[in-house]
Order: sequence, then structure tokens, then C-alpha cells
Amino acid sequence: MSATVEQRTGRGTAIANWFTPKIALARIAWLRTVLYLFVILDMHAFVRDTRLKGEHPGLYQPLFLARLFDLPKPSVANTTTLYVVLIVFCLIGASNRLPRLAGWIVAPAFTWWVLIGMSDGKVDHDHLALVVALWVLPTVAPNKARTGSVYADQTTSEAAGWAIRCVQISVISTYFLSAVAKLRSAGWALTWPGSAILTWAIVRRPHPVGEWLLHHPWMLHVMQWVGFIGEVLSPVVLWLKGRWQLLGALFFIGFHVANTAILLIHFLPTVVCWLAFAPLERIVPWFRRRRSSAGDAGQTEDQTESRRQTQQQAGA
Amino acid sequence: MAGVTTGDVGGELRLGRVGKALRVVVAVVGVVLLVNGSVRMTDDVWPFGPMSQYAMTVPDDASITYTRIQAQTDAGTSVDVPLNIEGAGVARAEIEARTGEIVKDPSLLQQVADGWARKHPDQPKYVKLELIRDTTQLVEGRVEGPPKAEVLATWQVRR
Repeated sequence: MSATVEQRTGRGTAIANWFTPKIALARIAWLRTVLYLFVILDMHAFVRDTRLKGEHPGLYQPLFLARLFDLPKPSVANTTTLYVVLIVFCLIGASNRLPRLAGWIVAPAFTWWVLIGMSDGKVDHDHLALVVALWVLPTVAPNKARTGSVYADQTTSEAAGWAIRCVQISVISTYFLSAVAKLRSAGWALTWPGSAILTWAIVRRPHPVGEWLLHHPWMLHVMQWVGFIGEVLSPVVLWLKGRWQLLGALFFIGFHVANTAILLIHFLPTVVCWLAFAPLERIVPWFRRRRSSAGDAGQTEDQTESRRQTQQQAGA
Repeated sequence: MAGVTTGDVGGELRLGRVGKALRVVVAVVGVVLLVNGSVRMTDDVWPFGPMSQYAMTVPDDASITYTRIQAQTDAGTSVDVPLNIEGAGVARAEIEARTGEIVKDPSLLQQVADGWARKHPDQPKYVKLELIRDTTQLVEGRVEGPPKAEVLATWQVRR
């Protein structure tokens, strides 16, 4: 009896630990820099019509979240304010200064920005992981005891691990739930992979690569099956380690390259979040090792130590 | 939340029981909301809606329609209006969503000409606009012949 209880608590702890792996704070610092800069890019290249919607709010149809929080209709004043606030606090956040303050401002501001951008009847599905990342990054407190650079901080943290895990889950959900949507739209039937969906997409967005493929529908069917099976199996990547996980990531990045070539759909806001899987905390130690092996070999002890630690986090 | 920390050499920061439990609950609730959105909600609940882009099944005998706007310019040329923010300031999705309204009231096309003229003052102006629907027929999953064009609405641009 007590053995079962013990077993159960053991399993509970294991599950809790899976959601909160110990990951070096350096990975969070890198993600802050890359993702906050990416938000600035996103505002100009992808969700770039928010301010235009402030000028012409005629077609504005508020989405559920906008209605729930009774957000004001976009206007020149509020979209311009959003723009300036986002640029300023993304730059502060990207520099890893005041990371929590900047993060808690950027997260709701960018969510609102995207919410306005998608309020004209067309909703894209490439922003889930990025929006989740912005909401979880500020939950990680800066390390007050740190002495060196934030990008080199090898202190492991469960809070950092949880934030990383949330981004990883969101990236994978984007694929897995796409497969679910394909089954649902057919009335919970498996008809999508054998259908003419890619032909339809190419006819509507013609370009040389696609038009060549129109003559070979069997190739489009193969791509549909590969894509669908990849989406169904995507959760496996969460449990892969090291090289196998890298292979999984490369498969999906290849999937996006193919989508870009065939459909002109890049999904970069999701692609950039694959970095949550990358052991970014090894960049500085790797760079230092290279530099020191180029010079004299005076710091071998330090190197062994940092290598031991980075290996422990591999694949987490 | 206590832990030993030292610079970039290493150390470990652990979560307290409450902090850890709270985080696990938030993550699980998030996953439940996502699955719920995919199984039974619509795009309205973004970001918790279904990932429905390109998720529909297109039958092998489908008619594929594509709506575009063709313009005659004051330079005597005939051009395809670029339906995006930089072009005429209107997205193709918006035109496709409002096709019915435009057919009933072609004067709605005036804003396309105005948008173009405002964004490209040094380019030829549009004098006549045609809303055209191209229909491509699929037979056994293959494209059968060139698309058939059908003019849905015509508008003489006001100066």
C-alpha cells in the first residue's frame, strides 16, 4: 500500500521534473536577445499592418481575447504607442537589462499587436511559440550572484528549464495540432494526405517551382504524406536527445524550407523558436576553448569543468 | 528558490515546491487549452484556436477559384493590381472575403484606385478596374486546361 503511494509520488516528481529540467541561464540570455530582436523584425516584416489597421479600422473584427479584455478599437494613437513601447522594451530586453520589467511589458504589448494584426478575418498560426516564449521568459529571475557575462552563465535553473520546456512544447504543438486540424476538417477522417490540397495551393499562388510540380501530382501526394506523418510524430522530438534531437529539428526546418519553396509560407516566427532546443549555453565555452587552444594551454582545468557541465545539459 | 550560485563556473538554482507546482499546473492548463481549441474551437480564440491553415481536404474534381483585380491605366496599359499592403493597400484575402459586396456595389473598388494613387503618386493611375475570378478545373487531381476568367464587376475610376 505504502509502496504504491511512494511509487505514485515518485512518478509525480518525475513528471514535475520533466516540466522543469535544469538548464543553464545562459540559454535564457541568448533567447532573450534573439527573440526580442526577432519581435522587432516581425513587426516590420510579418505582422506589419497593425498600424495601418489603426489608420483604417473599418474592417476590424475583434477576436475573443480582445473582447474578453475589452481592448479598445485600434486607432492611430494606440497603435503608435504600442509600436514605440515595443521597440524600446524589446531593445532593453534584448540587451538583458531589466529582463523581467522589459519582458512583462513586451509580452502583453506584442500579444495585443498580433491580436490587432489578425483581426480582419484572417488568422495565421505561426505565432504560437513566439507569443508563449514572450510570456514565459520574464518568469526567469536574473541571477544576482552571477559574476561573468549573462551569455556565459552556466548556473543551471529549474525556472529557466520550465520556460524553455514551455517554448519547446509550443513549437511541437504547432505541428502536432496541425495534424489534428487536418483530421477534424475532414470530419475526423484521414483524407488530407491523398487530396489535391497542394495542387489547390499552387494554383492559387503560382510560381516556377510549384508549376513544375503541378505536372507531377504523385510528388505532391508524397510530400503531403511525409508532412502529415512528421506532424503526427513530432512530439517524439521532446524526448529525443543530442544528435537525434538535432536530426528531428533539421527534419522540421527542412519541412519549412520545402513549404517556402512550394507555397511561399516561411513560418519564421515558429522556426526561430526551435532555438529553445539548441544548447546555446555552450556557445561561450566553445568560443573560449577555441581561443585558448589557439593560444597557450593554460586553462585546461577550467575547460574540463565547463565541458563536464555542458555535457550534463546536453539534450535537455 | 534558494540555491548556490557562482559566476559562469556553475551552480544550481532550484524551484520551491509551490513555484514548481504552479509552473507544472500552468503548463498543463496551457496544453489542455490548446488541445481544446484544436478539437472544438475556431480561429476566434487565437492563440488557442485550431491550426487550420491549409488543413482542408480538396477533392480531386475541385474547381479552384482565384480572385484578382485587373486595371487599365492612364498610360494605356493593362496590369494586375498588386493586392497587398505595399501595392494598393488592400490584401487579397480582404477582397476575396468581400467579393459579394463588391459585385453588389462596384464603387467599393474606388478605394483600390485611391490606395494605389496615394502609395504610388509617380506611377500611372488606374482608370478602369475589373474584379475577375479565375476558375481552374481539376480532373482526377490534375489541372485541366487554362483557367477560365469571369468578370464579376467593373468600375470606372472617379478622379
